[in-house]
Amino acid sequence: MTTDSVPAGDDPRRLLSDVRTLAHRVRVDQRMTWVALLALATVTLVGIAFDWFGMTVHCHPDGSCQFARRGVLYYWPPALLLAYTVIAVCYVRAARTRGLGARVLPYTITGAATTAVFTAAWVAAALYFPSHPAPMHPLPYWWFVLDRLIAPWGMIGLALLVLARLERNLGLLLFTAGYLALVLLVLPMNSGWGPPHWGIRAQFAMPQLVSGMVLLLGAAGFAAARRRHR
Amino acid sequence: MTAVTDTPDPHAAHPVTGLDDVVHQRVRLGILTIAHEARRVEFGYLRTQLDLTAGNLSKHLSVLETAALIEIEKGYEGRRGRTWITLTPAGTTALAEEIERLKLLIARFEIPDNPENRRRPH
Repeated sequence: MTTDSVPAGDDPRRLLSDVRTLAHRVRVDQRMTWVALLALATVTLVGIAFDWFGMTVHCHPDGSCQFARRGVLYYWPPALLLAYTVIAVCYVRAARTRGLGARVLPYTITGAATTAVFTAAWVAAALYFPSHPAPMHPLPYWWFVLDRLIAPWGMIGLALLVLARLERNLGLLLFTAGYLALVLLVLPMNSGWGPPHWGIRAQFAMPQLVSGMVLLLGAAGFAAARRRHR
Repeated sequence: MTAVTDTPDPHAAHPVTGLDDVVHQRVRLGILTIAHEARRVEFGYLRTQLDLTAGNLSKHLSVLETAALIEIEKGYEGRRGRTWITLTPAGTTALAEEIERLKLLIARFEIPDNPENRRRPH
């Protein structure tokens, strides 16, 4: 404890190292990663019920079925906005309790923006497809990836990337990269998954269940890591 | 914060000449760093992180406030008094410049053919 100036010969490496250590400590103390993941997991898992009961399915005698995921369209925009609001409030309150400001606002804005993009895309699709036939030729793979990206599960991943950048959180960045790879490249979020006898509702529920569980496990993992750190 | 070149000109003015005494001090540099990262920081958090007594921290804060590098806001949360510290734009600039100079100093030490390095005792 001193009020004297550092002598000119003091090691600048040590000063710079102190600066980096303090900055890192503040960032770690501001993090509430598990809360964000828990809120998003809850929204995802609750969303399965809305998709299930809100889906309209019309099957034709030839075995083909038409469906509209109205539940997704009506549930997700307010649910995501609510989730981002809850996350922001939790971040601000926790940081304030610890004696810090919060740096969650850009994440909340990104979350709201991605929600608007998803809603606009799904409304446009809902207006377009009833009066226009679906293309008969096979669509390129990137189209499916884009379709999954603008779905709520993909948009959650995009916003999480922003949170990882804000928190300089390498763990969250790696988790989000894995999550995005899962919902964009592995899980057929936009076409359903499972044996035919399950029915279309269950097939759409499966990928959502997996992505929700991944977010939930992520929340548990980050919460455990935080407890260990403290 | 601006980028640092890997090979600074050895004939340019020594980075030490530009050091600001107010900022080039371990504790005050720590206060500015924490306030910059945290957006705003409470007195108690600073005291814990920098391992200072309340009186000592107050002296450092007073120096920084006089130099217009921070703003101090006092208030209450319930019955508990709380003091919040926020970095001013001048404080942000001063911190960035200090870090830049520290990096320049380090880079200067690391140039193998720098005459100053040859004069240093081993």
